[in-house]
Amino acid sequence: MPNIKIFSGSSHQDLSQRIADRLGLELGKVVTKKFSNQETCVEIGESVRGEDVYIVQSGCGEINDNLMELLIMINACKIASASRVTAVIPCFPYARQDKKDKGFFDIPVDNLYAEPAVLKWIKENIPEWKNCTIVSPDAGGAKRVTSIADRLNVDFALIHKERKKANEVDRMVLVGDVKDRVAILVDDMADTCGTICHAADKLISAGATKVYAILTHGIFSGPAISRINNACFEAVVVTNTIPQEEKMKHCPKIQVIDISMILAEAIRRTHNGESVSYLFSHVPL
Amino acid sequence: LEVVKKQLDMNATKGGLVIFTANSNPSSRELGKRIAEYVVIAVAQFTYLKTRVQIQESVRGKDVFIIQTVSKDVNTTIMELLIMVYACRTSCAQNIIGVIPYFPYSKQCKMRKRGSIVSKLLASMMCKAGLTHLITMDLHQKEIQGFFNIPVDNLRASPFLLQYIQEEIPDYRNAVIVAKSPSSAKRAQSFAERLRLGIAVIHGEAQDAESDLVDGRHSPPTVKNVAAIHPSLEIPLLIPKEKPPITVVGDVGGRIAIIVDDIIDDVDSFLAAAETLKERGAYKIFVMATHGILSSDAPRLIEESAIDEVVVTNTIPHEIQKLQCSKIKTVDISMILSEAIRRIHNGESMSYLFRNIGMDD
Repeated sequence: MPNIKIFSGSSHQDLSQRIADRLGLELGKVVTKKFSNQETCVEIGESVRGEDVYIVQSGCGEINDNLMELLIMINACKIASASRVTAVIPCFPYARQDKKDKGFFDIPVDNLYAEPAVLKWIKENIPEWKNCTIVSPDAGGAKRVTSIADRLNVDFALIHKERKKANEVDRMVLVGDVKDRVAILVDDMADTCGTICHAADKLISAGATKVYAILTHGIFSGPAISRINNACFEAVVVTNTIPQEEKMKHCPKIQVIDISMILAEAIRRTHNGESVSYLFSHVPL
Repeated sequence: LEVVKKQLDMNATKGGLVIFTANSNPSSRELGKRIAEYVVIAVAQFTYLKTRVQIQESVRGKDVFIIQTVSKDVNTTIMELLIMVYACRTSCAQNIIGVIPYFPYSKQCKMRKRGSIVSKLLASMMCKAGLTHLITMDLHQKEIQGFFNIPVDNLRASPFLLQYIQEEIPDYRNAVIVAKSPSSAKRAQSFAERLRLGIAVIHGEAQDAESDLVDGRHSPPTVKNVAAIHPSLEIPLLIPKEKPPITVVGDVGGRIAIIVDDIIDDVDSFLAAAETLKERGAYKIFVMATHGILSSDAPRLIEESAIDEVVVTNTIPHEIQKLQCSKIKTVDISMILSEAIRRIHNGESMSYLFRNIGMDD
């Protein structure tokens, strides 16, 4: 009977450790380093022969380096006779170019949702949640937002960009009502944060009392942190698919939802051959 | 940039050819420009829109040559290449030929203890992305060609380096070709044969300890692991190697020493070799290598050492290193790459490019 072995890439040691803790395991020994010519070198430090291996690596930071490191680790485990190798990629790189749909892979893909964790956070941290409005910062996120709004039994709204003429800046139009309500912006990722900061301004001027932003992946590159500090958010909430410690030091408005238990439970269920679909609508304790 | 279409032969791909340089940083585009000059074609543009890649012209039905030189950021270089190859494939290019003068991760081509054979992984990834042919130069291990299931042309830089020796080193006839360790003896010999010179081989303590780690599982086990063996098994034990102190086999007294190797990266072993050769009476020391990686503080160490000149080709951009060290000289090999491109596109024989190349080169 194979055992679970969890290895961490260098992108997010903290999350990997949390996942291992939840499963009551130690992280597997692995040495990842770079030679002086910047080539990645990976050496697995313990036997994986016949084991069920999970490699945790997030597509953040130095994406190409982390991606190569992941590929090399997977390859190393395979040729060291691991029974099965599963990649746990909380934030999938290059996701804005290709959809991370199942049809694009020849192997089984489990695309987990942060939604249950987001719902839990809203109920526990926003006192006025029963009378709030969930807002999508663009038309593309309507489906995501309506799903959350339905489960909370609240209203939703969306902001869409109206392009008047070729050289003119897009106008942002709010569709729905936020007057005298708490507005919660929901999106899947925040990179430079230009869009959500504009959206926040729009919501305040439309009468919202407070604006929260909840984003699954907080990439926060370039001017993102300073934009958030200057904007009128009550809080900007992200999950820990991407390490946030450094950024939180520069921005007190950022709060983090820990999703390690979702990943740990997915690993446990996959290993035991149980259904993972329970996790699509529930947060494990 | 306008693309000038070449006259086509009967054997050439009907659509014509396009050359791209995959690198996003300017110093790496240099080689691509030089190659394109010879082929009389302008280099087409690829743009990187944040993380997206856009091909600026049609490649449908054409031979696409993608030139990629390895920069400081190896992993980014590889991803750039894979993305471009795949983009060309999904845009219906007829053939996608990678021109990768220095093939990265070529030192990780053997099974190390629970390591990955990264060259094989890379080869699989490139073929899967849609590469139909590979042109490279002086592969660290020729066996890497076998990792690919597409044709691989492993061109040689030696004719250029030999030409440099004959034209730029005035008393080269008084030189000795030196191998800084026994593993490069074959290469040294192939150079020496063509110049009608003698060779010398350096052997001893300061050698690359890494060679012991290749396939860390020893067979039979070394003396250290005695406890792990069942007492009744009569397996003969491997006597661990005893390395003699550094020696030079061959005479370099009163001669010019020319150390030849395929890659110069970490220079410690070259410096040690140079010291030894100086002690044994060599009055001038040259280092000739195809691929000048010269990472971290290699330039500074070379500048302060007994080495007189380091000659590398332009397979890897090294402008920064040249600024830090006046002893580094460059040999331009773009001509052979463009000739290879021309011949492949026209369906002509490549054997002319391999004449005078011995088995050991």
